[in-house]
Amino acid sequence: MTDHEDKDMLAAEYVLGTLDARQRDAVNARRGNEPDLEAAIIAWESRLSPLNTHYEAVAPSANLFANIRSRIDAEGIEIARTVPGIADFAALKRKLAIWRLGALGSAAIAAGLLITVFTSDPVLPVADGKFVAVFHRDDTQPAFVMSVDLDTREVTIRPVEATVPEGKTYQLWIVTDETGPQPQSLGLLENVANPTTKQLGQFDPAMLRKATFGISLEPAGGSPTGLPTGPAIHGHLIPVAH
Amino acid sequence: MTTTRDLENLLKLSFNGDRDAFEQLYHATSAKLFGIVLRILRNRAQSEDALQDIYVRIWQKAGDFESGRASVITWMATIARNRAIDIVRRQRPEADIDEVDVDTLASTDTVFEEVARAGEVRRLEHCLGGLEDDRQQMVKLAYLEGWSRAELAERFAQPVGTIKTWLHRSLRQLKECLGS
Repeated sequence: MTDHEDKDMLAAEYVLGTLDARQRDAVNARRGNEPDLEAAIIAWESRLSPLNTHYEAVAPSANLFANIRSRIDAEGIEIARTVPGIADFAALKRKLAIWRLGALGSAAIAAGLLITVFTSDPVLPVADGKFVAVFHRDDTQPAFVMSVDLDTREVTIRPVEATVPEGKTYQLWIVTDETGPQPQSLGLLENVANPTTKQLGQFDPAMLRKATFGISLEPAGGSPTGLPTGPAIHGHLIPVAH
Repeated sequence: MTTTRDLENLLKLSFNGDRDAFEQLYHATSAKLFGIVLRILRNRAQSEDALQDIYVRIWQKAGDFESGRASVITWMATIARNRAIDIVRRQRPEADIDEVDVDTLASTDTVFEEVARAGEVRRLEHCLGGLEDDRQQMVKLAYLEGWSRAELAERFAQPVGTIKTWLHRSLRQLKECLGS
């Protein structure tokens, strides 16, 4: 049996659900780093998901959403408390709201780009042009936290739980209306153990504020194509005010 | 009746941080997802805990949804099913196996997406119909009820290795029949 067939059967059994806990954990860890495995999983999900029609709807208890909502509301506070370094650059407000901006260019999505959009929101106080983007991988634990200061036009990416697979590197991308739908590279996150700061002096603050940022996993040395090629981590934004 | 388009809009609004939209999305979809989780976990309290985790995750990952690849409800169902199977693989007591009424598998109740996906559903059912009866039942028990190889081995009185071989053959046959 070829490696390709092995991987396809691994993906098939992962989707079918018959792998044991250890094997599932291994697949969950690998799929973010192996585009072919990820693609095989998605293909099997597509093949087998018509079986979902056999599931009958059952109403859960009526009060459940209140718990979900309070957990969502607590998320930003939790991150502020648990992520080292956050408090150093900005104090998160007690009642900060988390918001995300969607409506990304489909090119960015198709490229597997992590997606974070900055925009203005009249309801939220964004007093001093500081934002935080939180990038989750598969779990609730964030993988990266990025701070953006529009005044100095600096972004700083702090790894939280991110690890770099052998021979790979993380690459930062930006998409703006002005530069078109194709992501532009902002460079590599050379040392994932430490914060990386990038100067974005070539972008004006208004542009940055509406930009889409992404982090993708790429071969060592960066994407060979000039566009994101690897699996992405998706994030969302937290506005920061003092 | 919430349409596919409505769900996409609600998910997009949720990604923008709109909690009320997310609540609407929850009300439109939670019974479906709960049906999945409950069928796999078979415990109401545990399933409600899992359902909360699932919706927090959906909120966090709303930006990952790609329209054109799958419908919103299929994307959400995948998240729910994955979570339920992760839990059950760690926790299911072996004693529960005999309590399942296998006859319920004969149900063709199509509670969601039946209109949009009728063709796909027919195609997969046709291909499942091409498997021997016990293989077909095995695939459905695994996918729908979250049975492990070991549980299938006990139910079908075969060594685990044989079950794995049968599953792989069945899956390859399905893939070929589905033409992809």
